Amino acid sequence: MPPTLDEVELLIGKMKTAAAPLRDVLRELHARYAPVDEGRVADYIPELAKADRRWFGIAIATPDGQVFEVGDSKQLFTIQSISKPFVYGLALEDCGLEHVLSKVGVEPSGEAFNAIVLDEASNRPFNPMVNAGAIATADLVKGKDYPERVARLLELFRKYCGRDVYIDNSVFMSERLTGHRNRAIGHLMRNFGMVGEKLDETLEIYFQQCSVLVNCRDLALMGATLANGGVQPLTGIRAIPQPYVKHLLSIMLSCGMYDYAGEWAYRVGIPSKSGVGGGIVGVIPGQFGIGVFSPPLDAKGNSVRGVLACRELSERFGLHCFESGFTGTTMRDLLTPVRG
Amino acid sequence: MTKTVAVPKIISTHSFRGGTGKSNTTANLAVLVARAGWRVGIIDTDIQSPGIHVLFRLQESEFRHSLNDYLWGKCRIEQAAIDVTMRAIGDVHEDSERPRLFLIPSSLKTGEIARVLREGYDVGLLNDGLHDLLKRLQLDFLFIDTHPGVNEETLLSIAVSDLLVLIVRPDQQDFQGTAVAVELARKLKVPEMFIVINKVPQGMDADALRAQVGKMFETEVAAVLPLSTEMVRTASGDIFCNRYPDHPLATALQTVADRIARL
Repeated sequence: MPPTLDEVELLIGKMKTAAAPLRDVLRELHARYAPVDEGRVADYIPELAKADRRWFGIAIATPDGQVFEVGDSKQLFTIQSISKPFVYGLALEDCGLEHVLSKVGVEPSGEAFNAIVLDEASNRPFNPMVNAGAIATADLVKGKDYPERVARLLELFRKYCGRDVYIDNSVFMSERLTGHRNRAIGHLMRNFGMVGEKLDETLEIYFQQCSVLVNCRDLALMGATLANGGVQPLTGIRAIPQPYVKHLLSIMLSCGMYDYAGEWAYRVGIPSKSGVGGGIVGVIPGQFGIGVFSPPLDAKGNSVRGVLACRELSERFGLHCFESGFTGTTMRDLLTPVRG
Repeated sequence: MTKTVAVPKIISTHSFRGGTGKSNTTANLAVLVARAGWRVGIIDTDIQSPGIHVLFRLQESEFRHSLNDYLWGKCRIEQAAIDVTMRAIGDVHEDSERPRLFLIPSSLKTGEIARVLREGYDVGLLNDGLHDLLKRLQLDFLFIDTHPGVNEETLLSIAVSDLLVLIVRPDQQDFQGTAVAVELARKLKVPEMFIVINKVPQGMDADALRAQVGKMFETEVAAVLPLSTEMVRTASGDIFCNRYPDHPLATALQTVADRIARL
């Protein structure tokens, strides 16, 4: 059977990606930061400590489905806190903006991500990126029973990644065995009626969502889905209603990088979310999704190499969301193959 | 000689079907361009049926590494390059930078050919390799000898080329296939493309053929090369232009080489 026009276009697209100068830029970036041997691999559960500190991958995806990858871009790791904005999107879809806002605020907290503290006036967690907010968010995920709620969670990540996703069971078991602090946060919120009576189930869901296995390429595609108004670039399947995308991105910009969020917004200006597994997802609306992965973390809990790579990308290509009048070469310029 | 081109150029030679004389033409053009005083590389991306090394009388035992090794991460691409300046051009001082001719062969080992076919490879890595070659061997021109037909390495070669040379015989099957190659090349936005009609039998009207083929593909025909008994007798055992420098075929190839050198 002769290939259809679509197949020809896909093949042509693949070749353009392989020949685009952006590949060279990513290789150069990777080579520059791979030798940086700072930071500590998370070890609060033994499974995370097993990560190789040399792992380093960078991936960039475009809304039209080009994917650029260098380094350990296929290495799987647990998504951890990067799951938070995406599940928040599901909560918005399930319950609507006003209801979700009544349960979880959108203010940067200035407290540690695992602080046992709620807004005194409203009893709400400060935002969905701190653990308290993420647990309250997970509580809003609908489903007739626990298996259905977990299935919907996995379906969500499947839509964003464009492939089947799985949960790392040993990480999940460790998270739930050692999750005393998260249980305490949950019970405090239960006390104030901010989460429902299915708190135990919700905590399980929260531990499950943190244990979803992804790679750097997945992160780039998740980012590109948000950059593409909520439609996954490779499958064309909608992962989140378009109107909610901007709300996710706002929270990622103001609260996505733990206690570094303010300086991140100032210096880098890319709506992003990091996780203790070493991943960072970044979104350039309308243009790119960025995924970076490297396990060693700085004192704020963000991937050392990941922060360096994102900072350079932002400065070099004018990716800060408040950038205007940028005159340098843009990342878009680097998508077209150069000759010789 | 110290001349350099501002931006190194990549030239792909391609034919839709086998037996068009593609490798022979590529090797001769590369030698002629190098002879004009340039640093030239030839990479054999015909992983499934490598062969261009034969024209340089290279034995497998002389390969240190191959393109396959590079694609599997066993070596840097330039480590697979063999300097064939002496045997292809001769009379060049060992230390002189130009002219220089390098060949990057594909593996001749059955197992390694099979492995590439079975496992495939990252086509992006091939692109990185081409650019590394330009940089690290400081090449002025890189010729890519592709596998006939359409496959990933062929398409990538076209995507990165400054010039695509399509080799066709005066044959209906070749013509049909060339239409496909021309369409893909246009989609890949290759900046320059021309056709070389090869193995044209004596008595065929070269000008009429040139006009017919040019019109058929809306692409310039740069040369019409005669079918030569001397070429057949060489049996791919040598570089034709070296052995028969005054032959009409060599003269015609020289005009194509001159054009490439002016890119």
